[in-house]
Amino acid sequence: MIKAIGIDVGSTTAKIVGVNESGEFVWSYIEPADPRVEDQVERFLEKVREMAGSIEGIPIVATGYGRNLVHQATKKVTEITCHARGVFKQLGHGGTLVDIGGQDSKVIVIGPHGEVVDFTMNDKCAAGTGRFLENTAGRLRVKLEEMGNVALSAPEEVKISSTCTVFAESEIISMIAHGVRVEPILKGLHRSLVKRIVAMIRSVGLVPPLMLSGGVVKNPAIRKMIEEETGEKVILPDHPQFMGAYGAALIGLKLGKG
Amino acid sequence: MVKIPKRHEVCRKFKEQGGKVAAVLPIHYPRALLRAFDILPVEVWGPPQVDVSYGGAHLQPYVCSIVHNALSFLKTGGLDETDLIIVPHTCDSLQGFGSILLDFVKPRQPVFPVYLPRGKRQEDVEFLVNEFKSLYRGLEKITGKSPKTDEILKRIEIEEKADAKLKELYEIRGEFSFESGKAKSRSSKGDALSTYDFYRVVRAREFLPVEEFIELADEVISEYSFVREGVPVILSGIVPEPMEVLNAIEEAGGFVVADDLACCGRRLYGGGKSSEPLKRMAERIIFGPPDVTRGNLIEERFEHLKYLAEVTGARGIIFYTVKFCEPELFDLPDLKNMLKSAGIPSVQVEIDIGDPLPHQTITRLTAFLEVLA
Ligand code: SF4
Repeated sequence: MIKAIGIDVGSTTAKIVGVNESGEFVWSYIEPADPRVEDQVERFLEKVREMAGSIEGIPIVATGYGRNLVHQATKKVTEITCHARGVFKQLGHGGTLVDIGGQDSKVIVIGPHGEVVDFTMNDKCAAGTGRFLENTAGRLRVKLEEMGNVALSAPEEVKISSTCTVFAESEIISMIAHGVRVEPILKGLHRSLVKRIVAMIRSVGLVPPLMLSGGVVKNPAIRKMIEEETGEKVILPDHPQFMGAYGAALIGLKLGKG
Repeated sequence: MVKIPKRHEVCRKFKEQGGKVAAVLPIHYPRALLRAFDILPVEVWGPPQVDVSYGGAHLQPYVCSIVHNALSFLKTGGLDETDLIIVPHTCDSLQGFGSILLDFVKPRQPVFPVYLPRGKRQEDVEFLVNEFKSLYRGLEKITGKSPKTDEILKRIEIEEKADAKLKELYEIRGEFSFESGKAKSRSSKGDALSTYDFYRVVRAREFLPVEEFIELADEVISEYSFVREGVPVILSGIVPEPMEVLNAIEEAGGFVVADDLACCGRRLYGGGKSSEPLKRMAERIIFGPPDVTRGNLIEERFEHLKYLAEVTGARGIIFYTVKFCEPELFDLPDLKNMLKSAGIPSVQVEIDIGDPLPHQTITRLTAFLEVLA
């Protein structure tokens, strides 16, 4: 039985999560982000109605960059707070959470009681985000889902000097023109993204354990390289892509209980 | 909304009354000296809405937007109404700006650089006094006036009164005392003054004749109510542009209780002591609140911010920095660490003053306030 709903309107995908009385993750749904946020949210809520009947009186908390367009929301909370809430509830401990989203990435230090101690976001540029890989995947004609494994299959890697997505793309074009193979280029690209992320981790200071969330964690090369670069084992929650929406639902649950 | 005349209206009126107008670049300069020559200082913090490509022809891309915009503003006629330009040596970028004006752009108006010492020794005071002497001689030349000691002292007195009034405004609004004494209490009446409006008033000090500023401050104190509501934070940095950032903080549940902004709190100079006017002005600037551009140590800034947080009850600090502002950015890593060790959380956001407020910045500020709440 759904007792609270969390909606995460991200830049690449929109997610909705329902939780039960004890805050367990009981239902979720994801779609690519629709620029008509209001319509998409209405569709999402319709899905909940179909499944659970009325949503009357169920608290809805919105998060993500489109949170302010969720007019049905009881409350709007930033991704930072929501991710911390969701991950803490699932894993049961604090540490450093790295969330790599489609268009922004964040590093959140979570305290022993689930509180946000510090955070940083890469918010102005697509480098260090999923978009960096997405853009270059297209150029290299490799499917996004396969990128990680293709990168890991390369015994060597080339160094990508540009951290900027647009410049990286031109660097790749020139490498291809010089006959460099796709696999080492891909490996270098992953390394470049991971180095950006690791710089963010260092700027807040790594408090172990290291946890990962966001759509990009499906990519095995990112996980492996973060472990290589930080020397820390990475822990994943059960539903890494839904942590923002889950945390939002948990905040909603608390609101509902007054 | 508090009624404040526009900068160009103020300039026009002042000139109609026979005075001259000086365009003054940030941050510290002798206001009273200019007024003793019947010159109105009108400060140029950017400004935000200009076509920056004009300045870009002369400046490297890594020079801050305040300097880029100021040069573009000048090149597009924004400073045509002014009679002289004063460029304090605030940072390398502004010093470079002064040199570009003198050697290459050569505007119609005379340009006066003012070199600021980086320290608080007696020699630094003497250095600044000498700078003011040379500025005095320059102003003598362009105005034909030679104000006497008592005339300058009179102007200093009014400026000091205005600065004291400004402090009072902060104290009433934030319900605290800079001197750590009892907070000033005041009955609430009239409309509540928003943070945005409060800073419009504070920033009117950048261009209003001092007498009008005092009147404005008195009017605001008597006609508005001040409500301290939300999570108290200190805003640090150079300038709150775009000013919508103040609304964003308020909407996210924050209350800017005090600031360490170059255009505002870092110029809450204390009253002077010396009866020698140039020395008095120099001392006021040199012994003002800590400012990295005057060479104050990180430790002094830390102590100042810690003290401000104590007396105001601020729970955190927002560093609102201008991109490529070297002096600010050099200090920040250590300053933030020192604050963190003292249990004062902070967040840093970076802006280009001409850009609209990005939603990512709002998210970052909101998240920070959620953490503090
Ligand atoms: S913002 Fe920084 S770099 Fe730019 S003029 Fe001001 S002090 Fe200088």
